[in-house]
Amino acid sequence: MYLVVVGLLAIYPAIYHLLTQSPLGEVAVTVLPRMETMVAVLYFSLFAMSFDFISGYTGYLSFGHAAFYGTGAYTVLLIANGKVPLLGPETPFLVALVVGAVLATVLAVVIGLVSFRLTGVYFAMITLGFAQVLYVFVRDWDYVGSNPRDGIALSGARGFELGVPYVDQLTVALGTLTGDTLALAGHTLGTTTVSFYAVGVVVLLCFAAMQRILHSPFGRVMVAIRENEERAEAIGYDTFRYKLGAFAISGFFGGVAGGLLAGFKRSVTPESGFYFLTSGDALLASIIGGFGTLAGPLWGHLFDETVREFLSKRGQGGGLLPYLEQTLSEEFLTTELVGGLTVEGFITAALNGHASLYVGIVFVLFVLYVPDGIVGTVRSRLGGRVARRLPERLWGER
Amino acid sequence: MTLALELAQQALLQAGFVDGLAEFARPGTFAEVVLRGLSKAAIYVMIAAGLTLIFGLLGVLNFAHGALTMIGAYLGGLVMVLTVAQGTGPWARLALFFVAMAVVFGLLSALGGSIEVRLIRPLYDRPPIYQILLTFGVTLVLEELARIVVGFYGLQPLAEWQAALGTIPAFLETSQSLGPVSVRGLALFEIFLGALTVAAIWGFLTRTRYGLFIRAGSEDSEMAEALGIDVRRVFTVVFALGAGVAGVAGTLLMWDPVWGASVPLAAESLLPAFVVVIIGGLGTFRGTVVGGLIVGLVDATTTWWFQNVAVTWTWLPEVAIFMILVVALIVRPQGIYGVEEVGGH
Repeated sequence: MYLVVVGLLAIYPAIYHLLTQSPLGEVAVTVLPRMETMVAVLYFSLFAMSFDFISGYTGYLSFGHAAFYGTGAYTVLLIANGKVPLLGPETPFLVALVVGAVLATVLAVVIGLVSFRLTGVYFAMITLGFAQVLYVFVRDWDYVGSNPRDGIALSGARGFELGVPYVDQLTVALGTLTGDTLALAGHTLGTTTVSFYAVGVVVLLCFAAMQRILHSPFGRVMVAIRENEERAEAIGYDTFRYKLGAFAISGFFGGVAGGLLAGFKRSVTPESGFYFLTSGDALLASIIGGFGTLAGPLWGHLFDETVREFLSKRGQGGGLLPYLEQTLSEEFLTTELVGGLTVEGFITAALNGHASLYVGIVFVLFVLYVPDGIVGTVRSRLGGRVARRLPERLWGER
Repeated sequence: MTLALELAQQALLQAGFVDGLAEFARPGTFAEVVLRGLSKAAIYVMIAAGLTLIFGLLGVLNFAHGALTMIGAYLGGLVMVLTVAQGTGPWARLALFFVAMAVVFGLLSALGGSIEVRLIRPLYDRPPIYQILLTFGVTLVLEELARIVVGFYGLQPLAEWQAALGTIPAFLETSQSLGPVSVRGLALFEIFLGALTVAAIWGFLTRTRYGLFIRAGSEDSEMAEALGIDVRRVFTVVFALGAGVAGVAGTLLMWDPVWGASVPLAAESLLPAFVVVIIGGLGTFRGTVVGGLIVGLVDATTTWWFQNVAVTWTWLPEVAIFMILVVALIVRPQGIYGVEEVGGH
């Protein structure tokens, strides 16, 4: 099953390319997310997965998870700008990525040591408190750059290169402007597409690692803590250690996700890194996709981003608004509804860039009526994991 | 050379610190800082009061509280902007402010009540995390709606609403001197209003029949139900009340240039409200008042130090609030007046 999903994602660039060229192009551009968005979906999904790893599996809502994302992103950029002692600006991206992730892990252990003395609502609040302290701190720390409130960007017109360090053939540059193009079997892959694959490989590796941990005895204990912590303790597990370990692992992957954000965007702001609404977005992705299913956040965030892009009217990205403006007649658009409000005015006011409204409504509906999320519901409908059930459905029991 | 320079700088900083301490300890300065702290505390208590009422009875940590405050600020501002003309006298403005408060209280209570009945009621038998999630979603929706409406009328959603700030009476805007201390009239008004709110809620909880129901419900809702109290209706009333108080706090914030009516007000007011409520102990009203006082005074002190002494950390005042939270949770996880059981798993 995972192979199918990975395969689908892998051929997405080709599909996108084909459909936008086809007679249906107009519609395809409108409905499908752009390639840049898909890269963002990949690395943010990894962050949402790391959030789900701790929150969905142990039941401890880590509301300050953005701290790890921000740490990863800031570390990578600071190293590249030569602001970190011992690590010069020539440090390979992959090394910086790992350093950022390790720092995030250390941070997770520190926060965890304090926070896991608490449970429930208090745990969510204290992690939020830590993240906000870091957010305010980073926002006003002028060491990171001349204007810390606007975040930091990579100095110079360089880009990051992802791959095996010191081996040129196994390295590709990331980014829409600075990335590599790749000629393969007569086709040239664009910079974004190459970044998509490169980021995708890292995300896939991290996903596999987390999946492996969750299916190990360690992961079973995590679920046991979620279901009944006292019982897990009574059986003899030192739950504090397990929680701390899980939090550290989750912080590590959160840091990797942040590093990938920095690698692709070449810049980060305090808002996109540390602010509590970033954790909120991860929460959104996890709930819509399926809380406590590792693959869920990917689908949840894909949905989130698709709706957001669909309802914004940015550039060539397509979206509903330019599409409506092109297809609907001038007459209809200028029809008055009530008191001087034209159809066009209404569409602009209600749709333009206001995707949060609709995503929020969908989120509320999911919490109320689909608490297991997309993946969780599909699983319970099929009576098991999709990977196991689908073949049985198709070819009968064996 | 550079070393000498650094040493000199350090000496200067230390001298600044000692001077600052001496200045801070002067009675006039100290009283001024305390007054400012009290006015901040009044605001913190007002934005946190509704939150703690709701948590105490329903056990729901209302993430939409900040959004309700923000809507209250806009609605209050709307009433003021529509009614106040250029020539309206200061006392008439003050009277209109109380009218605006009453209107906002009514409207937001209705909104809060319907949110409880429609959205939160189905979730009581689920784990408490789901109520956080739901109210978080409600926040997203309310904020975006506000953004749409505000943007539609040509206002900048991110900036403070200047027209609403302009409706403040002149004598609140200027400095008033109280003996050796000079302080803005608005600060005194905030202290007055905060005390009034605390007294009103306190009286409602301890002196009325409904307050008795609420206290009984917080203690043991099953037992209260067995005694014939319609606990579900009490839940709805308390949620409506909490939302109304949030709106009243918002109406006050609309006049304060530090806050002002803007869409980001939702998050800006929510986070300190959380801190106050948790320091005091989730769900205890007394704890919230004390927590608000602590946070307000610490905030005013750190702000003074930042403004008057060469403290190089610009982030100090903002971080201070959360540092109190972290320290308080380590020392006393259940809050000052909190009970161990509440808010746990």
